[in-house]
Amino acid sequence: MLRSEKRSLIRFLLIYLSSTFILFSIASWLFYVSSKHHILDRQRETLEYEAEHIQTQLRNLHHANTEKLVYPNDPHIKSAIYDVDKHYIFGSFPKAPSLSHLEKKDTLYYMAHVEPYFLGAAYLLVAQAVNDAPIEALQKNIFIFMLIAGIIFSLLGYYLGRLFVAPMRDSLNQMNRFIQDTTHELNTPISTILTNIEMIETFGKEEERSTELKRIELASRTLSRIYDDLTYLNLNHQYHRNIVSLDMGRLVEERMVYFSAMAEAKSLKMQRDIAENVILQIDRNDALRLADNLLSNAIKYNKTGGTLTVTVSSTYFSVKDTGIGIKKENIRMILERFKRADSSEGGFGIGLDIVNQVVHAYGFVLTIDSQENKGTEVRVTWEK
Amino acid sequence: MGKIIWIIGFMSLFLYAGDRGNEKGMLQANCLSCHQKQQIPSALIYKRYLMKYSTDARMEAAMFTYMKSPKKEFSIMPAPFFSKFSMKQKMPIKDEDLHRSIKRYLEKFDMKKKLVLEKEKQGAQ
Repeated sequence: MLRSEKRSLIRFLLIYLSSTFILFSIASWLFYVSSKHHILDRQRETLEYEAEHIQTQLRNLHHANTEKLVYPNDPHIKSAIYDVDKHYIFGSFPKAPSLSHLEKKDTLYYMAHVEPYFLGAAYLLVAQAVNDAPIEALQKNIFIFMLIAGIIFSLLGYYLGRLFVAPMRDSLNQMNRFIQDTTHELNTPISTILTNIEMIETFGKEEERSTELKRIELASRTLSRIYDDLTYLNLNHQYHRNIVSLDMGRLVEERMVYFSAMAEAKSLKMQRDIAENVILQIDRNDALRLADNLLSNAIKYNKTGGTLTVTVSSTYFSVKDTGIGIKKENIRMILERFKRADSSEGGFGIGLDIVNQVVHAYGFVLTIDSQENKGTEVRVTWEK
Repeated sequence: MGKIIWIIGFMSLFLYAGDRGNEKGMLQANCLSCHQKQQIPSALIYKRYLMKYSTDARMEAAMFTYMKSPKKEFSIMPAPFFSKFSMKQKMPIKDEDLHRSIKRYLEKFDMKKKLVLEKEKQGAQ
């Protein structure tokens, strides 16, 4: 994993997991508070019931005619009675609690009004210790839920993160390959130029110079074409097309002359069937990129001594080579930028992408007909 | 010195006992003798006052008001009671003596001092 990819993944995970954690914590907290209230309310209801029960006992005591009045005492429920001025009368608390300072920690209280004042009691205070068991069970459940949710969301986050950085990883890989290809592509013609200039300077005889100069010319044209392609791709979005009436046949003839040195270097047999007056409404640069890329590809991927057939008719322009061909499953793929059917040959894989862009811009149709090890025909049709 | 303290202590106790005995006699003479003769249950009257007024001070004030001015609206008994029984006469008794008699009455029938705590029920919820 690349460092930048790792960094992006970590940042994504941090944001995703922290926001999920905050959201879940708030939801869990609200759930906890509400459930705890519910549990305590249920315990308070028990206390209210106990208060009613004690009031009945107070009434019975009030009407009793015995020497001793036995006040109810329960180990779990404590109670006390207070007069109308809130002064303590009697109770089962170990220490008489003051109504104004009730120790509420861990204890539930319920104050009932007694009417009439049996035994002089106007208020009945009932208390019991909070039963922590259901609250602890609730806390445990929430903790387990958070733990499981944390694990699930961490895994989900990691998976989403990988999906999230995948396009970036592809772009970075493409960029790295592109830089490698560019350096390689530029290196070959530059080395050719420098070596041949050196040879001219060292051994050059008048009659032998033409070979070196031809090589230099070829290398320079390759450089020029690389420059044109890269400029075209780079400026494509801001490019203003200057549509003119262009004789496609003549333009293709010119470009064949331009590429003749390359074709000769590979001993290719050139066949042409070029109709006259094939006029298209097209930007000249677009037409050049279309023709140049198809021609250079056909030369590059042709076998040495092969045939290059160029046809321009009133309805289409086609370039056919007798090269390595393209596998059927790769035909769709090679239209994408930086994709090459055969990486043994040089190039960036941008040629057919440029052709495809031009074809789309003008509503032409691009068809690739290829047979492996026999050859490929690329046809651009402008009229159905 | 010790003897003097003993004598003062003994005298005080004697005086207090005398005072208490006097109050008791006053209550018996002014209140209970009639109640007993007419079979009016004093304990029940106490319970009625307690149920309505809750504290000794409020009970004392309510009893005092009724004794000073025996009327239906000041009585602890319900209004229909007086259709059967006549209203008692105002008693020719000093305020101070009346207060002391009421206090003694409240003390005599005090229910709160009869309260005891039940032994804890084992295993009760």
